[in-house]
Amino acid sequence: MLPEKADVVIIGGGVIGASIAYHLAQRGVTPVLIERWGICSATSASCDGFVFMQSKRPGIHLELAMESARRFATLEAELGRSFEYEACGGMIVIEGEDEVPAMETYVQEQRNIGLEVTLLTGAEARRREPALSQGIVGATWSPRDCQVNPMLLTFGLIDRARELGARICTEREVTAIERGGSAWFVETQGGEIRTPFVVNAAGPFAPAIGRMAGIDIPITPRRGQLLVTETLPPLIGSIFLSARYIAAKFDPDLATEAGEGISIEQTASGSLILGSTREFVGYDTGVTAEGIGTIAARTAGVIPRLEEVHIIRSFAGLRPYTASGLPFLGFVDGLEGFIMAAGHEGDGIALAPATGHLMAQLITTGRTDIPLDSFALNP
Amino acid sequence: MNDLDDDTLICRCEEVSLGEIREAIDRGATTLPELRRRTRAGMGLCQGRTCGTLVAQIIARRTGKSLEEILPATSRPPVRSVTVQELGGKGKCSPKKRT
Repeated sequence: MLPEKADVVIIGGGVIGASIAYHLAQRGVTPVLIERWGICSATSASCDGFVFMQSKRPGIHLELAMESARRFATLEAELGRSFEYEACGGMIVIEGEDEVPAMETYVQEQRNIGLEVTLLTGAEARRREPALSQGIVGATWSPRDCQVNPMLLTFGLIDRARELGARICTEREVTAIERGGSAWFVETQGGEIRTPFVVNAAGPFAPAIGRMAGIDIPITPRRGQLLVTETLPPLIGSIFLSARYIAAKFDPDLATEAGEGISIEQTASGSLILGSTREFVGYDTGVTAEGIGTIAARTAGVIPRLEEVHIIRSFAGLRPYTASGLPFLGFVDGLEGFIMAAGHEGDGIALAPATGHLMAQLITTGRTDIPLDSFALNP
Repeated sequence: MNDLDDDTLICRCEEVSLGEIREAIDRGATTLPELRRRTRAGMGLCQGRTCGTLVAQIIARRTGKSLEEILPATSRPPVRSVTVQELGGKGKCSPKKRT
């Protein structure tokens, strides 16, 4: 049963909603979290486990990621649960000489903001990761990149939040959100909750929640298809992205020109997760022969050994894309008590601890450690 | 099934025991996908083709849900594992599109 009122109502049971619920509960505020399907059943269950610092744009984006990385280092102990956190380091592999100058500039900008990152030659990269192809001309390397299991992370946050008093309501869809007096009324099929604060943590589905509150939220679902391999003994030590992925992420024109870039990780189970496409196809989460084929061919180009490895599953998830590449975080002008925490695109896992901390801080104190001006939604 | 030991292996690919599955159900996992995400049961080489029905029965008994509500779990191509080379080759695989 739904309670009649709550200190905070969080809409969305993915990693962002779970992190906000945990961080609020830890501060003694007990939220009610409403999820349309199950906990960790959409975007957070169909992504890789990257906590990549190097893929973040130097500036406020990277600052937010570094705040998250610091929190990740102690989060398992805080939650009392493992989510397979590995301080494994990460590489951005460079497949063409023409990509080197852009990556030199990118590395310099990241070093300026305090990220530990170095540019390696192809030979140096292969010394560190012998599975890499002879065709790799170089790589950037940072020991700060790490890896988690996104599902265990989300369940860990939710289970701990529940232990601290949060109410988690699943298989319950929000049907309307209305302002009455100084409160919000969140309506579901199973009843209505009155609350001073509503948090929109619905990821790619955030625009539908926004429409209920009368605002337009420019978030677009972007599909990423991924492949899972059979389990293998350790083949790679760090996590990989291609320089083309960086280009595709920050310049959609380059994405068309340069192909889609790849991501590779080996999880604690021994399986490799190979990705990823970046497609605008609405809310379709199907996989395609073309997408699977492209990922297989591109990842085997980076790690030739993969050619003989068996694929046991494919899947696709929707990333909440924003034009700026930044999530919408914080209060919305003209909608008192309505908080945005969505639009992380492929960075939701990486940014979840910082997002949860900042949103809980905003709700309980009205202030945040990191200024949220760059993340404002101005409808 | 009620007299089985918690150490009994249910998902052999991922070595998930009955005890782990019971614990995940008690934490709120009442669907095959959530059980898979919490415990890895059904995430291995056979993708739940061996243990899926058994896991569904365990959920049904513990939660009172009907088997029809629980089955089937989501499955994604390939149906049998294939090599990366085969996939990246020339149209050897035509996976079904799911919505």
